[in-house]
Amino acid sequence: MPVSATNWADEVDGEDQPQTFTDANGITTIIEYRTNDDGKKVKVTRRTQKKLIHDVVNKAVAARKKWPKFGKEKGNKPGPDPATTNVGDNIKLKLSSTGQVVQEVDEQHEAMKAQLQNKKILCRICKGDHFTTKCPYKDSLGMEDAAAPASAPAEDAAPAAEQQTGSKYIAPHMRAGASSDSKAGSGSGDREKRDEQPTLRVTNLSEDATEADVSELFKRFGHISRVFLARDRETGFCKGFAFVSFTMREDAQRAQEAIDGRGYDNLILRVEWAKSSA
Amino acid sequence: MRPILLQGHERSLTQIKYNREGDLLFSVSKDHVVNAWFSHNGERLGTYEGHIGAVWTVDVNSTSTLLVSGSADNTAKIWDVSNGKCLKSWEFNTAVRRVQFSEDDKMVLIVTEPRMGFPATLQIFNVENGLTEPISSEPLYNFLPEGPKITVAAWSALNRYIIAGRENGSVVLIDAESGSIYSTNKIHELTITDLQMSADRTYFITSSKDKSAKVVETESLEVLKTYSTDTPLNSAAIMPKVQEFVVVGGGQEAMDVTRTSSRQGKFECRFWHKILEEEVGRVRGHFGPINTIAIHPDGRSFASGGEDGYVRVHHFDDDFFTFKFQI
Repeated sequence: MPVSATNWADEVDGEDQPQTFTDANGITTIIEYRTNDDGKKVKVTRRTQKKLIHDVVNKAVAARKKWPKFGKEKGNKPGPDPATTNVGDNIKLKLSSTGQVVQEVDEQHEAMKAQLQNKKILCRICKGDHFTTKCPYKDSLGMEDAAAPASAPAEDAAPAAEQQTGSKYIAPHMRAGASSDSKAGSGSGDREKRDEQPTLRVTNLSEDATEADVSELFKRFGHISRVFLARDRETGFCKGFAFVSFTMREDAQRAQEAIDGRGYDNLILRVEWAKSSA
Repeated sequence: MRPILLQGHERSLTQIKYNREGDLLFSVSKDHVVNAWFSHNGERLGTYEGHIGAVWTVDVNSTSTLLVSGSADNTAKIWDVSNGKCLKSWEFNTAVRRVQFSEDDKMVLIVTEPRMGFPATLQIFNVENGLTEPISSEPLYNFLPEGPKITVAAWSALNRYIIAGRENGSVVLIDAESGSIYSTNKIHELTITDLQMSADRTYFITSSKDKSAKVVETESLEVLKTYSTDTPLNSAAIMPKVQEFVVVGGGQEAMDVTRTSSRQGKFECRFWHKILEEEVGRVRGHFGPINTIAIHPDGRSFASGGEDGYVRVHHFDDDFFTFKFQI
């Protein structure tokens, strides 16, 4: 297909010079082309009409306008000086006949608004722009997510949180690559083996759930190699989450799909793939 | 409406005044300077320099040729309005609290404070042809009014009386020739902070620290109207045209301001219906108490000066002129 020498899109280039024309009514139209901040060319059309207004002023007032400035203003050019004269914010004088003119604005609310003007509100649970306490997902996913990292360092079976924490203190024998003594060595070997297994993280378990309950729930999908239920150290109650390792990835996949979102002990379970500790 | 902010002063305003045509606005403050402004755009015409103390009061004559100012440096000065030259300086024993030109521009009324054993004086000077001839240093009259301190004073029609407001809240009618007190009426509970005459001088408005402003008949000193607010008032003015309003302003005492927010301070100009004694509107903006209010002689704009050092000139919007009070 032959390309024409002048593209239709380029034709306006010739009109870059501002155009001015005046019509019969005395309205002057000025058309300009300029490039905006985005690099796009924009057409600006302005229509102006000049009108000569005659104003009758007092002779004395007119004479005073011609007085030369004196004192601190001596020698300054006519017109308001921005150093001494400014225009303030627009103020509405609302006249009312009722005698009720008190426009009280909730002061506390205003103060709070001013305080938070520059702060971004971020929910710790769902990262939405509302307070954590007002989060609609607080009950379904909030508590567990918040609880998980807190309890993770206590149990070495919670692999997810351990490696993420860059600033948190980790004991030397638990650090990655530190395997000086035999016990730690065997432990890390154990962990490696475990990491290879397909593992599900089950959250939002009720407080009185046990390992037996969890394995009862999941064993129908396939062979379970290990169940770990996080328990509170003092009370021995379930902390609300557990890890279930399957031998077969397919089984784990089916279990995840089936149980996720299911009700259990009046709570809706959440099942997801456990993050690898590696 | 968008107010024009005049920042010609470094300290709190004490008085502002329009000239007769309203094209010029004079402001004085505690920073020793007198400023002259064009009221329509806020341009500063010039400054009158020479005082070495806080300037308490200012007035301009009806032809806008002479300006008188009274200061805490124990002087009152006459200035040439057009070029800022000081034409006369009177020395007193104490600070000058109030000055005013008489209705015919021939005389100036000066009120001095009682202090350090000196009694309060009410002096009248002749300033006729003051622009061309030297002004006498001797007063025409020097009255020593008895009783509580006089805070404000004004001439009545035809220079017959001098109306004065006292620290104890009473107003007195003083004969302008003999200095004798005709009548007294205690209309306020606390000190009178401002007294402004109506256009025809048959009545005047007073503002007081007792949170009220009152319209008083000149001859009888009878209270005609009362406007009660919730804050001490520093100034009150009568709108001469357009609307039957009075404007009052004040706010919490300056010494208490830092302890509260500006909203609680009630630093607003309040518009009251002059006859029906109903509040009709408020104009906020100052972040300190309002010390002085002046209304343009044609009623199209008004100005307020505050403890915050600003003068705010407000030109009314169109709806102000069409407003009708519904009863």
